[in-house]
Amino acid sequence: MSFFREVQLDDSFGPFVALKERYGFIPNLIRAQTLAPRLIEAYEKFESIALVTENALSRIQKERIVLIVAAAFQDAYTVAARAAILRSLDLSEIQIDQLLGDFRGAGLSTPDIALLDFCFKLGMNGTSIDSKDIEGLRSIGYDDGSILEAVLACALTRFFSALSAGLGPDPDFEPQKLPAPVAVQKAFPPASHLHGKKGPYIRTTYQSPRTFAPFANFLKGHGFIPNLYRAQTLRPDIVEDESASIGKILMGGKALTRAQTESIFVVASSTILNTYCVAAHCNILRRYGLSPEEADQIAFDHRQSNLPEQDKIMLDFTVKLASRPFEVCLADVQKLRDSGFTDEQVLDCVALTACSNFLNIIRLGLGVEPDFELPPGFEQNKVHLPGTEARLTKDDAVIPISAAAAGDSDAGLVADAQAGNLDAFEELIRRHNSMLYRTLMAILGNPEEAQDAMQDALLSAFKHIAGFQGRSKFSTWLVSIARNTALQRLRSRKNMESLDEPAGDEEEFRPRQLRAWQDDPEQAHSKEEIRQIVERGIMGLPAKYRIAVMLRDIEQLPTEEVARQLGLSVPALKTRVLRGRLMLRESLAPHFTADAERAAV
Amino acid sequence: MITCDEFFAEFGDYLENRVPPEVRQELELHLSQCRACHVLYDSTRKTVRIVMDSSSFELPKDIADSITDRVMAKIRKQSF
Repeated sequence: MSFFREVQLDDSFGPFVALKERYGFIPNLIRAQTLAPRLIEAYEKFESIALVTENALSRIQKERIVLIVAAAFQDAYTVAARAAILRSLDLSEIQIDQLLGDFRGAGLSTPDIALLDFCFKLGMNGTSIDSKDIEGLRSIGYDDGSILEAVLACALTRFFSALSAGLGPDPDFEPQKLPAPVAVQKAFPPASHLHGKKGPYIRTTYQSPRTFAPFANFLKGHGFIPNLYRAQTLRPDIVEDESASIGKILMGGKALTRAQTESIFVVASSTILNTYCVAAHCNILRRYGLSPEEADQIAFDHRQSNLPEQDKIMLDFTVKLASRPFEVCLADVQKLRDSGFTDEQVLDCVALTACSNFLNIIRLGLGVEPDFELPPGFEQNKVHLPGTEARLTKDDAVIPISAAAAGDSDAGLVADAQAGNLDAFEELIRRHNSMLYRTLMAILGNPEEAQDAMQDALLSAFKHIAGFQGRSKFSTWLVSIARNTALQRLRSRKNMESLDEPAGDEEEFRPRQLRAWQDDPEQAHSKEEIRQIVERGIMGLPAKYRIAVMLRDIEQLPTEEVARQLGLSVPALKTRVLRGRLMLRESLAPHFTADAERAAV
Repeated sequence: MITCDEFFAEFGDYLENRVPPEVRQELELHLSQCRACHVLYDSTRKTVRIVMDSSSFELPKDIADSITDRVMAKIRKQSF
């Protein structure tokens, strides 16, 4: 019936009841997932929000979308299943054949054809979509609700296709004749994103992170509200069901560890060039004890990562399923079993890949802005052609050594220093010692110790300069040496200040000092006074807030870079920066409030 | 109108100018009507500005030079 053994589920199992009612029978695609009932729950919910519940678009409009996108993907199982449904909605065999052959000549209305054109383009090569496609749909009468539903139907199709490829269900119905594969790149060159407007393309509504449960959960669980869901707030009901289902697939399982789950999701996303999910989940991986570099390496090329060999075998399978879905066969699943994986684990892997496909279409169709920066070296808008290995690779993205050196004004001196010229090295450290000192002060919080550590760091830099390969700027490399030196010292202190704490452990900090500040607070003090006030304030912060504020507001490094340097996820870093700023605000307040001004007068 | 708690939940991103338009609209409406949050926002924004412009933790040149001299002396000694 499929690659996976079917087990008997309780007749009263809700999703089963709903699906039986929907179809009159249980499709093989569902039977293939009985070992993991939560996946069936998620499946049923997805189908219900994206296809069954009629709102802006009719069921038949949505089923047509699924049929056409699935056919373009050569997904025979889904095409046969959806054709059967269209027949039950009173379409004739001829009409279905016409849709599959050439929907533009199938006698549909102009708006219906335009909608299918949009979905076809989105499904086959979403990177070619931009705001003008959405404006085109609006101009022929589609409202934003319809557009959202069309995107969802399209996303669901890609979800189905990954599932049917990975689960290998026998068809429930006579197969339909599929159209010839399309040459995608030729048909849809990627949008330049220079001409269209920034997303989200459709209207959004404000949802409170305090009262809207999905947003409250995201804040609590991950420290941020994904833009992907914000982009769908036109329909809070959809956000609710969709995020619950995704949550079930990503977090509800026990078969895989959290780190395994996230690794699979990152690799699947990287393979289909789902840059949105790569950026978000590389960050989430950091919360499971991986360094930013390790997390990025999994996205780039898991084979070169430090993961156990067994995990890499699962990730190889993920790449195949994501890039060449219809080449996946029972032998691939068997290979995983032989490597010690259970069927439940493989099922999860398939569902995770399907999930990434689903989310990729949503982010492309709605123009969702990334929550986080991509790991350095990733390209944003490469095209994924079905049936090819498209994985985001570092190879063409790694900055060649000469190019990095070309952008670095230190390059000449570095080369001389590496050749043993001590004067060149001396010049290099004179150039950078002020920045090094700030980094060291940030971490150590004590001028004498910072100066001590600076000597150690400079000597260490000299010792290792021959090994510096120029993949980053020299100054970045130098700062990283200083940082490691300082962190080592800090960790060896007797009463070590706590730098790390488990995620979500930051109790909320509410400001107390609420008197208004002067309009122009800098005016009342000399520059030197202000510098002293600020330095005292920063030195009075607990280490982890001090470091965050120093790097962010004194060094003025971008958020992502500070997070990376400290090995934190971006949301965790943001929390620290805000809290540090608020604590600093309390200590600065006595000098800058309006009453302080009056008192001074 | 949103509550102060709701305002605070988005406050960090608002300071960084990183909230989507529909959220910004709500936050700014709240700021225009809630004195406490307005004071919080205004003073935190000024704190960040003061810190950024303060030229704090510059290493005095004489100290920087003496550290460099010491390090270079050590290195030159080792190299011979």
